[in-house]
Order: sequence, then C-alpha cells, then structure tokens
Amino acid sequence: MFARLLWKLLRGSSGRLTVAMIGVISGAAVISALLNLELDIGRKLSQEFRSLGANIVIAPKPSAQTGAGAASLLSGNQIASDEIARGLAAVNSPDVAASAPYLYIVAHVASVPVVVAGTWLDQTPKLDPTWKLDGDWVASREDNSHCLVGGNVARQFHLALGSQLALAYLAENASCTVAAIFDSGGAEDNQVFVNLPVAQHLAGIQGAISLWQLSVGGSSKAIAAYAQRLATQFPGLDVRPIPQVSQAEGDLMGRIRLLIVATIVLILVLTTLCVLATMAALAMERRADVGLMKALGGSISRVLRLFLAEVGVLGAVGGVLGCAGGLLLSRWMGQRVFSAAISPRWEVFPLTIILMIAVALAGALPLRLLGRIRPAVILRGE
Amino acid sequence: MAPLVQIENLRKEFGSVRALDGVSFTVEEGEWIAIMGPSGSGKTTLINILGGLDSPTSGVAVVDGTDVARLDETGLTRFRAEKIGFIFQQFHLVSYLTALENVMLAQYFHSTTDEPQARAALVRVGLADRIEHLPSQLSGGEQQRVAVARALINHPKLILADEPTGNLDEANQETVIRLFQELHAEGHTILMVTHDPSIGRLADRRIDLAHGRLAGISVLSATPD
Repeated sequence: MFARLLWKLLRGSSGRLTVAMIGVISGAAVISALLNLELDIGRKLSQEFRSLGANIVIAPKPSAQTGAGAASLLSGNQIASDEIARGLAAVNSPDVAASAPYLYIVAHVASVPVVVAGTWLDQTPKLDPTWKLDGDWVASREDNSHCLVGGNVARQFHLALGSQLALAYLAENASCTVAAIFDSGGAEDNQVFVNLPVAQHLAGIQGAISLWQLSVGGSSKAIAAYAQRLATQFPGLDVRPIPQVSQAEGDLMGRIRLLIVATIVLILVLTTLCVLATMAALAMERRADVGLMKALGGSISRVLRLFLAEVGVLGAVGGVLGCAGGLLLSRWMGQRVFSAAISPRWEVFPLTIILMIAVALAGALPLRLLGRIRPAVILRGE
Repeated sequence: MAPLVQIENLRKEFGSVRALDGVSFTVEEGEWIAIMGPSGSGKTTLINILGGLDSPTSGVAVVDGTDVARLDETGLTRFRAEKIGFIFQQFHLVSYLTALENVMLAQYFHSTTDEPQARAALVRVGLADRIEHLPSQLSGGEQQRVAVARALINHPKLILADEPTGNLDEANQETVIRLFQELHAEGHTILMVTHDPSIGRLADRRIDLAHGRLAGISVLSATPD
C-alpha cells in the first residue's frame, strides 16, 4: 500500500512536482558535469600543459661543467647523444610524447654571432608547439638543407621563406634554406634551428650534444616519477622537470577546483530553495489530506514518511536524469575548453544522486509543518 | 456490563467560549444514539472528543474502557485507528485515491491492507461497480457510502457520524440511512449528529444539547417513518 500511495501522491501532484523536478534535474546536470570536470581536470590540464612542450631536461650537472663528470660527458658542457638515446630506450614510457637532443653553438652569419641549435627538427612541433610559424615545419631529422629561423634573426638578416642562410663556425661552413620563420616569444627568436648533423658538422664534433629535452604526458606526480627513473638511469647527469610548468599547473588547478566547488555549493543552495518553495506550496495543499489521514489513525511519522519518500523519489529520479544530462554537458564543456571529451567518472553519478536526495529532503522542511495539523480543525473546514 | 461510552461532567472550552459544559450520559453497546441540537450547541465537539480528535478541558470520556482524556498524541492516534469509525458530512475522501484505495487507506493506518476485504466492504455498501472510481467520478451518495465502507473496514467499536446525510439529496439520504439501519441491526454502536428529526427518530435514543449542556435524553421508537 505504501508504494501504491506513493505512486498516487506523485501522480496527484505531478504539476507542482514537475517544477521541483526540473530544478533538481538542472542542478544534478550541472553538478555532475562540474564534478566530472573537477575529477578529470588534473589529467586534462596535464595534457594541456604537456602541449606546451618539453617538460624534462637532461643536461650535464653544474659540477660536471668543470670536467669532473661521468663517462657520458665528452667535455665540460657536452654529453654523448648515443648513450642518452640508449638510456632513454631502457626506461621507455608510453607517456613520452616527444624527445630530442640539442647541441647549441655560437656560429656566425655575415660575421655576426648567432646561436645555432642543432636538434631533430621532426620533434620540434611537439617540443615547441606554441611557436607561431610562418612556413612549414621540417618533417625529417635527415633533412640537412632546411632550417627554422627565429623572427629576430630573420629581421636582422632580412630573411624570408626560401632565403639561403650561410652559417660559419671556426673553419666550417654550412648553408640552409629557410623553411619557416617562427615567433616563440622567447630566446629562441634569436636562434636558428637546424638538424643535429648540421650543428655537429659546424662544431666539428660527432655524437656530442648540449642537452636532451623530453615532453612527457601524465600528472605532475607521474612526470616527477619518470624524471626520477631517468635520474637513476643517468646518475652523472642533471635530470629535472621544468619547474615553471608544474608550478603553474598546480596553481591553476587549485584555482579552478575552488571555483568548481564554490559553484557546486551555490547550485546546491539554489536547488534546495527551488524544492523548498514547491514543498511549501504542496504542504499547504495537503493539509486536508494530512488532517484526514491523522483522523483515520495515521501517525504523523507514518504520514510524513510517505511524503518524505515522495521527495526522496523526486531527488533520486531528478538525480539520475540530471546525471545523464550532466554527462552530455561535461562532454560539451570538455570539447569547448579542452577540445577533447571529458571522460565520465562513474563515481560522480552515485555522489550526485545522493546529493540530490539530500537536497530534496532538505527542501522538504516545510512538510514538518504538517505534523502540527490538528485533524479536528481541518475536518471542520478551517 | 459496563457501558461502551461513559461521559461524566465533560467540559470543553475554546478560550472564553464554553462548547461543552458538564455533559454526562452513557451509551450501551449496540445502541444508535442521535445527537441533536441547534448550531453551536456542542454536538460536533462532543463527537470529536469521543473520537479522539480533540481533548476535553475536564471531565471523563471513556470509550470501550479507554479514558480518551488521558491519552497522549500517540495514544489518541492508535485509539482512532482501532476503536473509531468516522463518517463526516463532507465525506472527506482523498481525491487522488480510488474508492478502493480510500478504504484501504484506513486499513493501512490500522495495521495491514487486505484488498479483497476492502472490495467486499464496497460491495456491501452497493458500490461493486464503482470500486476503481475516483471521488470526483462518484455522486455525493456514492462518496458517502465509500466513507461508510471506510468507517467499517477495521471493525470499530464505535461509529461516529457527523451529519452523514447533510450533503445528500433525498434519494441518497434514504440509501445512506438504510445502511445505518443495517449496521444497527448487525449490532454496531452508532452516535450520529443530525439536524433532521426524521432521521433522529430512527435512533434508539435521542440526546439533545443546547449551549453545551445536556438538554434532554429521550428514548425513541425505532420504527421508520
């Protein structure tokens, strides 16, 4: 009979309950979407920050620059690229998105000193994805005839796409065609990027590099753990995550999480008020029914249990429907903000439903006024 | 054998208004009592106190050995569920429940529901073909018959009827009164408030109230007009 009465109550007040239901569904949708976002934001932000480029650098230790280095050190500030490559292969991780050696030399262009960076140019799009490029990336690390030129260098030497650039270092010379002119907003704008063999040829050293950069995906913790593995693999070298990225990531994530939690609290309050308003009206409508039920011998706890079950159903059904809406909303937000869908976190759904039931029950406070109803007064029609 | 209802010096005051002022009488089991008197004489207040819907200011109101005046809220609730069957002038059916569910509602608050028994109660009052109808789909007489079925379903010791025919046309009045006569013949104890002398004459005794006081008790003929 309880279920039967409950069903009739729900049907009998479907108009008013629909209003409260819309409030609960809307609240649940936004809350579940925000919770999904909150739980997934670490991973998404990590991906976003990883897209900023290299985040682990392997370089000679500061002390090694004085010459007291490990076997992999060639001279004061250079390391052996083959050994690094072998070491990286040994501690390979699927999270490594890009990786490249770098050899920096100060060459001359028309007798003017210019920093030349020798690297694997096919990795540059992933290691320096924020560059604004005019022209095309160099797709192959074997291509020794093309180079990327920083905006300041291009302006200084009046270079355009397709221009020939002559580089000189001590007795060695090399030339390349400008494949692209880039704007990094940093020191790279004063540099010329060539493939590693070109720089090694100019410097007259084979197999030597200045440092190695990697772009690794995953959380800050995962990156730190991978850096630790690299440090163990290369005990004589300095392996470090790029700290600015991790710090910025942590600060931003903290701020976003605070905003999300504040928004969730606000929505919970608004949803409670919506249910509260509906239930206050419903309580007034049901005074006669409650008076009659009490006259027939219904204890107030039994009568209220019926109405609270009704509110619980409202919260649960609203929560379930809202979660479904929240799933779509979180996908849309993910696409808009991160250009990728937010992965649904299943623990969000029971949490949202419990929150909605709690909100609905809190909003049902006016129903306790029904406990004060005196049946004799109601039955007299007062 | 002790009377089913024993009222001694019953008083009820609403602020400065004295609704009942020292009323005393007894009702034996199986009696049909008509309570009559002008508006404001305290008839409904008396019924409400006997039914545990209201508490007296002073005095004794014993129903089937239970002094209603001494019961707390929980005790009154159980008392109403177990010992009283109410029939109101305004029918007071729950609008979104069918006739059957309205009867089962009284079962639910009493103990457990028994649908076949509730159906049988509606058949007993001549509503076999209206069992699944909502109150809005029933005539006034039919609604009152549902109320009678609801009042009887838990086998109460005392049926309290407050102007049960007050909202009915003549044909429906006759139907409902015939039901009361049947209930009386079966041995039910009935206290009925009425303004209608012709209905009052059907009772075993008539208790007259005026200004909250007992104005007279008459033994009547049970012969219908």
